[in-house]
Amino acid sequence: MPDGLFTFFAALTLGAALLLVLSRNAVTSAMGMILALVGVAADFFLLDAYFLGVLQVLVYAGAVMVLFLFIIMLLDTEDPQGAYPWKTAALGLATFFLLGAGVLWLFHWSGAVPTAAAGATPPELSVNPIEFTTAAKSFGRLLYTKYLLPLEIAGFLLLVALVGVVSLSKASTEETA
Amino acid sequence: MEHTSLAHHLILAGLLFALGLTGVLVRRNLLVVYMCLELMLAAATLALVAFSRFNRTMDGAVLVFFVITVAAAEVAVGLALIVALFRQRGTVQSDALTTLRD
Amino acid sequence: MPSDYSCLVHWILFLPLGAAALSALLLRKQGTLAAWLSTATAFAIAAISFNLLRHEGNVTWHVELAKFGDLSLGFGYLIDANARLMLFVVSFVAAWIHLFSVGYMKDDSARGRFFAGLSIFMFSILGIVVADNLLMTFIFWELVGFSSYMLIAHYFDKDFAAAASKKAFITNRIGDLGFILGIAMCLSLYGTVDFAALKDHAAAAKTIPVAVGALLMCGFLGKSAQFPLHVWLTDAMAGPTPVSALIHAATMVAAGVYFMARVSFLLAPDVLHFIAISGAGMAALAGLCALAQTDIKKSLAYSTLAHLGIMGCAIGLGHPELALMHMAMHAFFKATLFLGAGSVIHGCHHEQDMLKMGGLLKKMPLTAATFIAATLSNCAVPFLAGWYSKDAIIEAAFHGEHIAIFAFLSLAALATCLYSGRMIRLVFLGEANSEEAKHAHESPWLMTLPLIVLGLVYSVAGGFLAHSIIPASSLQPIGEALKEASFHLTAPSTIVGLLSLLIGFGGALKFYGAVRGADALQVLSPRTYHLLEHRWMDGLYRWYIDSVQRRIAEFVAFLDLLFINGVAVRWIGGGVPAVLGYLTGRTFHRGQVRAYAFWIVLGTLFLAWFLIAR
Repeated sequence: MPDGLFTFFAALTLGAALLLVLSRNAVTSAMGMILALVGVAADFFLLDAYFLGVLQVLVYAGAVMVLFLFIIMLLDTEDPQGAYPWKTAALGLATFFLLGAGVLWLFHWSGAVPTAAAGATPPELSVNPIEFTTAAKSFGRLLYTKYLLPLEIAGFLLLVALVGVVSLSKASTEETA
Repeated sequence: MEHTSLAHHLILAGLLFALGLTGVLVRRNLLVVYMCLELMLAAATLALVAFSRFNRTMDGAVLVFFVITVAAAEVAVGLALIVALFRQRGTVQSDALTTLRD
Repeated sequence: MPSDYSCLVHWILFLPLGAAALSALLLRKQGTLAAWLSTATAFAIAAISFNLLRHEGNVTWHVELAKFGDLSLGFGYLIDANARLMLFVVSFVAAWIHLFSVGYMKDDSARGRFFAGLSIFMFSILGIVVADNLLMTFIFWELVGFSSYMLIAHYFDKDFAAAASKKAFITNRIGDLGFILGIAMCLSLYGTVDFAALKDHAAAAKTIPVAVGALLMCGFLGKSAQFPLHVWLTDAMAGPTPVSALIHAATMVAAGVYFMARVSFLLAPDVLHFIAISGAGMAALAGLCALAQTDIKKSLAYSTLAHLGIMGCAIGLGHPELALMHMAMHAFFKATLFLGAGSVIHGCHHEQDMLKMGGLLKKMPLTAATFIAATLSNCAVPFLAGWYSKDAIIEAAFHGEHIAIFAFLSLAALATCLYSGRMIRLVFLGEANSEEAKHAHESPWLMTLPLIVLGLVYSVAGGFLAHSIIPASSLQPIGEALKEASFHLTAPSTIVGLLSLLIGFGGALKFYGAVRGADALQVLSPRTYHLLEHRWMDGLYRWYIDSVQRRIAEFVAFLDLLFINGVAVRWIGGGVPAVLGYLTGRTFHRGQVRAYAFWIVLGTLFLAWFLIAR
């Protein structure tokens, strides 16, 4: 697992995220978002979570972002032109650098997380399905044994969301009609 | 340095989270704000996968699976809400939505 | 030859559920189709349960639905002789009532709902019959309450029907509260709700706590309309007449009796004694009250109360088999009486006042014949259905040396003959007292056929039923109990029966013939009439609710207003933000989503820092 690949994808992800946050055009923002999600998915691959990486691309970068794009184009909103109010910009910059500094302190300088010296090499992969493996099979086994109830609840949640969306869009059509 | 450590992934996740949060705070277009929220979620899942990998347990990864499921449902409902809002108020700019003040 | 017939029981239980679901979901608009579907189902299960009578031996079948620690909750069947008898009676009577309903409800606009209700009722009552544990019984018990509520409120746009259905439902809830407490007590004492296991525990234990039986009895008091929860039954007559026949005469109220018979091993002697005394007392009282009703259905409802009292009394005397026997016989003739009343009401263009009827014998010969046959059975005329079971119970009371109970039951027998005679005299004899009665017509065959089958065949052939069918079939335990108690009938019960028949029936026929268009007793002694007609228990409940319960509720509402609404919500919940808002001059409260988000983030970060630094 060469470091270069990680550096590349990390840069790609952060750059795309910057595009998402800074772009005036909502469609460009969405493109940035897609790129950032793909970058995250790539990082999943680097972490040996192939199944999750594929899922991330399919569900997020595929379905969810298409939905976003669709809604953006449907509503066709125009962002007000002109410079950002300096207060907002300052607030944003302050937040980002504060958080960024916090993150770096927490994960790097504080020494709480094992770094290159202590645990650089990821532990060897095992074949025990409860331990971390790359196989989708071990996902399935866990989902249908230990996490059966959450799985059922997640399925139910999807149904509820479906019903909710239908009733939401129906209610608003009735109001406008 | 030949290998990435846990810290690298966590820093990447943290920075992504910070970027997303900044976006939520500064952007006014609700759709973009919503995308930034999703970015924060993605950052959190990245941290989960990293922990899962380095701790050699599947639990974090399975949790990511559920996060993706819930996020998909959440996006559907949230976008429906935004569309409903747009139909009623004609805008998705958060500055224009100040009814709560009065 | 014992055989496993649990498969048949599945059919019995789930056919009506399927019919109900189909009618309720798909056939709301196609009333005719729903009616025939429901009726066909009813006949199918009647045939199956008749077939069950041939089978011998008990069948148990059980699946576990959930397990909490040691407590296992399941769904299962326990079919013994009692259950087989009950299955047969319920499904047989119900089938003919379904057929009657097809004719009776012909012009109703909501037939889909009505027949769906009948089918779901069938499902519920059969569930009670086959249930093998207390909890399953309770669930079906509540379903019976629900379907009864649905059916009483069939004419829900009429105020009295809506009120009556609510009254029935709420009164039953009061009894069911005791029931569920009783189940909880069984669980805590014996750790099981299974009938078979409970029976073992009860056999092993020397004494059963009085509370268990008393609490379980509460359910019986509510469902079987026993004193003091009897008030709902007469009001429940607001439902369509077939419903009154099916639920409030033949089956639902009998469910309580059946349940008591099923758990009779849990009833302590004190409980039994109470049931016997109150049952006998109510039998006499309700019989007399029936004399002061002019509505034909209400009069019959009081008659049902009286018979339920007699059944309760039999259980209290320690003869649950006799109670079930009487329940079966009563189901046949009382269903006939109600259906006959329905036919009369139908024929008289929905006139229910007996004082406005009269002379219907010639106009509605079939109805009259069956009604009179059922009435005679009701009065326990020798060799008709009611005679075998009722006299056996009176006989048991005499041998049990409970003089008070025997006296009450004798009075009940007399009262039964009195109101039966009055009913016959007012409705069928004499001259027509109103335009409606003058233009009365016989009902169509759909309505008279059930009358003939249920009334003539089973009231008159009661002896055949008691002598041949029951002892010969697998219902031997019941048959033997009957033989033991009833077939060497000694003097007392026969004398009481014949005397009350002569005095009561003959007297009533003569007495009520004297005055036209009014009630003879009311003319003769208005005070006595008022005493019987007035609903004392309703008044008592009203007083309790108005003067006691409402005061408590008002006091609690005052506390709520003062402490929760006032102190907690107004002062603390409203005060803190108000003060903060005043102090900060609306820095936080600007109505901007982003500003709120910022404060949330700041708070979260602060919390995170706090947790990490700790």
